Amino acid sequence: MRIFVCVALLLAMAPLGLPLFAMTLLTEALILGLLAMSLDLMVGYTRLISFGHAAAYGLGAYASGYLLLHTSLPLPFAVLAASVLAGVVAIGVAWVCTLAKGVSFSMLTLAFAQLLYAVAFKWTSVTGASDGLAGIPRTAGPFGVTVFQTKNGYYYLVLVCLLGAYLFCRSLVGSPFGAVLRGIRENEAKTLSLGYNTRLYKIAVVAVSFALGGLAGALYSPFAGFANTELVFWLFSGQVLIMVIVGGQGTLIGPILGAAFFMLLEHVLSQYTESWALFFGLIFIGFVMFAPQGIWGLLTRRARA
Amino acid sequence: MDLLSFLLVQCLNALSQAALLFFLGVGLTLIFGIMRIVNFAHGTFYMLGAFLGYSAVRLTGSFWAGLVLGPLVAGGIGAAFEMGLLRRLYKRDDSAFLMVTFGLTLVLGEIIRLVWGVDALQVQVPDSLSGIVFLLDEPFPVYRLFLVAAGAIVAVGIWQFLERTRLGLLIRATSQNAEMVHALGVDVNLVRSGIFGIGCGLAALGGVLAAPLLSASLGMAGNAIIDAFVIVIIGGMGSFPGSLLAAILVAFVQVFGTYYFPDFAMAAMYLLMLLVLVVRPGGLLGKEA
Amino acid sequence: MSVSRRVLLQTAAVAGMTRRAFAADSIKIGIPVALTGPLGGIGAQMRRACEFWAKQVNAKGGLLGRPIELIVEDTAANPATTVRKVQEMVERSGVRLITCIVASNEALAVVPKLAEWDTIFVSGDNGDGRLTGESLVPNFFRPNVSGPMGTRAVTLWLRDSPMKKFYGIGMDYAWGHNSMEVFESEAKRAGKEFLGAVFSPTGTKDFSTYITKIRQSGADGCYLVLAGDDNVAFLTQAKQYRLGEKVQLLTEQVDEMGINASGDASVGLIGGSRYPAALDNPQNKAFVAAWQAEYGRLPQMFEGDQYQSCIVMQAGIEKAGSVEAAKLRAALEGLVVTSVKGPITMRACDHQAEQPGFVVKVVKKDGMEHPVPEVIATYKADRVTPPCNQMVYTD
Repeated sequence: MRIFVCVALLLAMAPLGLPLFAMTLLTEALILGLLAMSLDLMVGYTRLISFGHAAAYGLGAYASGYLLLHTSLPLPFAVLAASVLAGVVAIGVAWVCTLAKGVSFSMLTLAFAQLLYAVAFKWTSVTGASDGLAGIPRTAGPFGVTVFQTKNGYYYLVLVCLLGAYLFCRSLVGSPFGAVLRGIRENEAKTLSLGYNTRLYKIAVVAVSFALGGLAGALYSPFAGFANTELVFWLFSGQVLIMVIVGGQGTLIGPILGAAFFMLLEHVLSQYTESWALFFGLIFIGFVMFAPQGIWGLLTRRARA
Repeated sequence: MDLLSFLLVQCLNALSQAALLFFLGVGLTLIFGIMRIVNFAHGTFYMLGAFLGYSAVRLTGSFWAGLVLGPLVAGGIGAAFEMGLLRRLYKRDDSAFLMVTFGLTLVLGEIIRLVWGVDALQVQVPDSLSGIVFLLDEPFPVYRLFLVAAGAIVAVGIWQFLERTRLGLLIRATSQNAEMVHALGVDVNLVRSGIFGIGCGLAALGGVLAAPLLSASLGMAGNAIIDAFVIVIIGGMGSFPGSLLAAILVAFVQVFGTYYFPDFAMAAMYLLMLLVLVVRPGGLLGKEA
Repeated sequence: MSVSRRVLLQTAAVAGMTRRAFAADSIKIGIPVALTGPLGGIGAQMRRACEFWAKQVNAKGGLLGRPIELIVEDTAANPATTVRKVQEMVERSGVRLITCIVASNEALAVVPKLAEWDTIFVSGDNGDGRLTGESLVPNFFRPNVSGPMGTRAVTLWLRDSPMKKFYGIGMDYAWGHNSMEVFESEAKRAGKEFLGAVFSPTGTKDFSTYITKIRQSGADGCYLVLAGDDNVAFLTQAKQYRLGEKVQLLTEQVDEMGINASGDASVGLIGGSRYPAALDNPQNKAFVAAWQAEYGRLPQMFEGDQYQSCIVMQAGIEKAGSVEAAKLRAALEGLVVTSVKGPITMRACDHQAEQPGFVVKVVKKDGMEHPVPEVIATYKADRVTPPCNQMVYTD
């Protein structure tokens, strides 16, 4: 907990020391971190390998974008509403996906995400089809608060969301509910025989995961000012999964670091060389070979040694 | 175009597309179904096949040489990758495979870009296959008929290979119980390298065969990996007849779906997968979920 | 984070300056261009044109006595990456002028932010009609040919052709639908029959069903709004089905990349061209000669069109005496430049360049490895440029 407070304080002071552009990168990294952490609830704690988490992000991004463009809802409320929407949709999706297990579960999540992609491509009046939603404003309010319209103000909104979500997830995985999730991860049949309705638990964790992933997406679209179909595409789902694994699954913190690492590495490498993908790929291969527990595993091992 | 010739042409269209999907899916069935490795780089091997085919055709002047050399080289690269890296990961969980093959996708894709450049490259249909035949007065490309035949030959070949040959037997045995095979004095590692190499080679074969329809381009890998996964999953993991059935089913849904409901072309394949998995979570011919 | 991290153009060496001195008072131009991914081929052409232009200008002592520095970043045609990269160029490198964005959806994601960034964006190939229509922002300028303008040139040519009935196939995204609408209304105005259109998802590999549909439609001509891999795949497969023997294929833009990748399958194709290298005017001849000296081949379509955008930027900066957004914007509005396509006007009302339209036919020529586009009709600027802020024509 002491480390958590230190890191939180450090992040809170970031705008004082970092140049304008570094703040832009940091904000985006935190948003992606929130997304990766939300997926970790499914992947790391319940062994539900979702290959369609872009659906959560995209739902949140489109929903908050739509609300901000077409209603006068204050920004925090629009973000919250989008997050709730993603969670509610997830209940239906999870109800179907949990009919299957293992790889079939993964492919069902992929199918839903791709269907959502098709909807985003076709429902022109709401999603703007292939153009997506552009010029998404950061509306003022509530109560005349305009702080979220500024760059640093928005950063604090993202930071508060991430820290809040982290504390929430931590208490969730530490609760009896989390114990059941881990039971499902290790041996679902046994957990079932102990009298737990595992499917209900799985649906619940997917809903929570989607709501938090939706929150990340909802924060992204007013940050970038747009939302488009790339955010729902399967490739992005795959990348988020990679972020979770490279950070260290089942640790919550790891995936946040993984997301930041993934984004910043791609960003920096692509400034140096056109062949950034080559080095990006080699670094990932190196990670698998030499850091099996991911970034977080690497850090904690160093700390213990 | 009357109804009969329309149906004939469309069915042949679907079958030629099924052949291409089958080449893509069958290699992944081997790797994914038997070795339980999520090979994210499968689509990139498919693309590599097309580029290798292009170079082989350029160098030798023969499409047939490309058809042999492309899969061989790609299969060799695949086998080398298995020996060098994957082999060290069998004790780890699936996510390690996902990540290392994701890395391979990026590396291989970039190498292809550096070697062959960014522009799409044309691969000519060999003269003997470039003609058309008239089916009930409708022209139909000979090359597409050749694809259907090639698909049938490869399907029968793989089936016979698995049933009749020693390596085929070992592959089936390894998928059931690797330790037992090892105890019998067989080098399991070699079998695994072989399977991975063959899987990549089959993807590359699909790439060479697809190149005269698409040209060799950097966009080829794009959705190929997802198409391949969908085929494997609909068919049932590790089931060869399953992937053949799935390829045919998907192709028919695509061809007729696109014709009657063009707006749903993008979603058709996924709706089919959803339907199949909800009814049979293990896939059409799969054993378990 | 060191300065050297930035991707600097080698032209620094040409101008004989050190990198540090170079960065101090250079004119920085942001090049957020797709170099990887399926659009990498177009991106490479556009970047080449920018580099060629910068090298030319720097060799003559630069602009306003300052060297040009291109800050190149790969966007992989992902709008999220594009916005992030441009934001970095603006906030960290102090860029106030960008060009070379490849895809229209990247452009549409960037334009709403231009005011906040106080940055001018000069398009080099973005064709979406709405960029100078409903989505127009004051800091956006389009010296290149738009999608509707390409379609318009083709339909003007169709007015004199004996073909009567038309069908269309377009990529299922904004550009495809947009251009098809223009084609439909233009074809009808020319007294032709429009039988319908079908749209294929981006990345479609097998076009056999679409070819069946086109064949069944009974049309004399089929209008294609396809690009990149989809275009190559369609042309190749259409040739295999001998579609061209029954239906004349028409297209919004004939680009050399598509021709080279589909080879003989593109022969006979008729379509618009944003820039044919064969144009006969002194500016173009000088450009083509210099280009051939540098690269040993003719400039391709996107190279020529991007080069024109660079010439417009250059004239604008010289007139404004600055790259500051407000001054440059004022200078660009109404600017008349003699470029490789002859005199063109950046009209003030919607920031679209008024310029001629070309229709070309792909033919095989002896001694050439690939078929080449040959100009078969040229239309004056006032006939192909739409009314201000419009995508449809009235005559």
